Amino acid sequence: MIEFSHVYKTYPGAIHALKNIDLTIDKGEFVFLTGPSGAGKTTLFKMISAYDVATSGGLKVAGYNLAEIKDGQIPFFRRKIGVVFQDFKLLKDRTIFENVALPLRIRGDKEHAIQRRVYEVLEQVGLAHKHDQYPEFISGGEQQRTAIARAIIHQPGVLIADEPTGNLDPRLSEEIMDLLERVCAQGTTVFVATHDHEMVKRRKKRTLELREGMIVGDTK
Amino acid sequence: MKPPQKNLALKLSTLVVVTACFIVMGTSLLISQNFKNILTMWGEDVQMTVYLSQDISEQGRKSLEDFLKNTGKVNTVTYINQERALGDFRTQLASYAPDISRDDELLKLIPSSLQVTLASNVQTKDQMQVLQSLAADLKGKEGVDEVSFGQDWVEKYGALVSAMEITMELLGVVILAASLFVMSNAIRASVQNRKDEIVVLEMIGATSSMIRTPFLKEGALLGFISSTLAVILCFVSYTGFRNLLVSKLSFLQLGQHLAFITPTSIALLIIGGTAVGAFGSYLCVRKINDGWAASQG
Repeated sequence: MIEFSHVYKTYPGAIHALKNIDLTIDKGEFVFLTGPSGAGKTTLFKMISAYDVATSGGLKVAGYNLAEIKDGQIPFFRRKIGVVFQDFKLLKDRTIFENVALPLRIRGDKEHAIQRRVYEVLEQVGLAHKHDQYPEFISGGEQQRTAIARAIIHQPGVLIADEPTGNLDPRLSEEIMDLLERVCAQGTTVFVATHDHEMVKRRKKRTLELREGMIVGDTK
Repeated sequence: MKPPQKNLALKLSTLVVVTACFIVMGTSLLISQNFKNILTMWGEDVQMTVYLSQDISEQGRKSLEDFLKNTGKVNTVTYINQERALGDFRTQLASYAPDISRDDELLKLIPSSLQVTLASNVQTKDQMQVLQSLAADLKGKEGVDEVSFGQDWVEKYGALVSAMEITMELLGVVILAASLFVMSNAIRASVQNRKDEIVVLEMIGATSSMIRTPFLKEGALLGFISSTLAVILCFVSYTGFRNLLVSKLSFLQLGQHLAFITPTSIALLIIGGTAVGAFGSYLCVRKINDGWAASQG
């Protein structure tokens, strides 16, 4: 599902953000990515979501060869993945329902199909009763669950989450991780960047450790 | 519960700023156009007097009139005979020198003349040259005593018109550039305020056109509303100013020569305003593919 093949990323000024990344993440796998700030986690996620390109090497995600992807194909590739951010990235002037429905509207789905699917996913994340609320009036945990609902509503093959629990307390963090594991159990590949080593230990999932742009550990 | 309308204040302030820019543009256009009208009105006073000799025959005079009309640069040629010239002279001097005006010998001193006005196709800047050329041609002709066209006044008038035209053109360029700059910044602030929305739309797979189109439409609408509002406000101000001129400063006799900007200019201002609004938005959203970087900032 995600395949890095000897990927290097160098920024101007000879800054080597990623060095010889060679890894495969299978369909339905749950993987943590850990490492100190500046290790290259965000660069790695930027490449997986086609916001950046490798300087050399090959990268395939959800059936797309990102080393050769054309600009016009990128939006269609992004419809095959889901992204969750630490700061949720919800639109404050739209309801929970409207935020979650966005990917389906972009895809051009019919209204009745959107209605059905949005309520289905809101049930899954436990927010159906808050469908008409605005993000500013729900808790941080609920906002992150809304963001996850938006990221999975179009049933992506890959879900990447960059510090999804970074702004949440331990209890809410566990809730979010439980939710991500349920998403993974349905066949979605889940790739989570985190600093929370305790949680990583408890979850006993495959963990990649990134340091100075290199993978220095893989528990596979 | 509804979220606070944070964007409303920004949208209103953008509308006010852009409308103000269009008002400045519309006012400049209005002033420029009316200056031209007033200068053209003054230009209508530019005329040439061809003083005829005492012994010129009727045929000689007619041949001079034909010569002038055939140049294609003349609008009217009016013959003023000695009696009419004396009548005009007496009318003008009646209150200043009643004795002189009653002197019958004056008839012999005041010559008959041809009053020549220039055709409207002769541009202000060319008036001096045309008059000089006509005067040179006439001076060699039989029956012509002297040619006078207020050379000094025409020169100063021509210089004034040229200076005004250059000033208005320069001012127009400066105002247009400043207005575009202010408008583009106002629109940019509006777009910047919705950066999060752009990031989210990119992230979930919206194409560039899906992201840009709402901004372009919003920019075009902003330009349309602002330019239309500006035209309406300019018209209200113009009407008030014109009424003031007519009622309080009627001695200037400028009221009847003032006009609002032409329908073509109004149409251009509104169409241009709509286009500028859309283009300003386009400049702000043409490079939007910085989603993850923006999201991290």
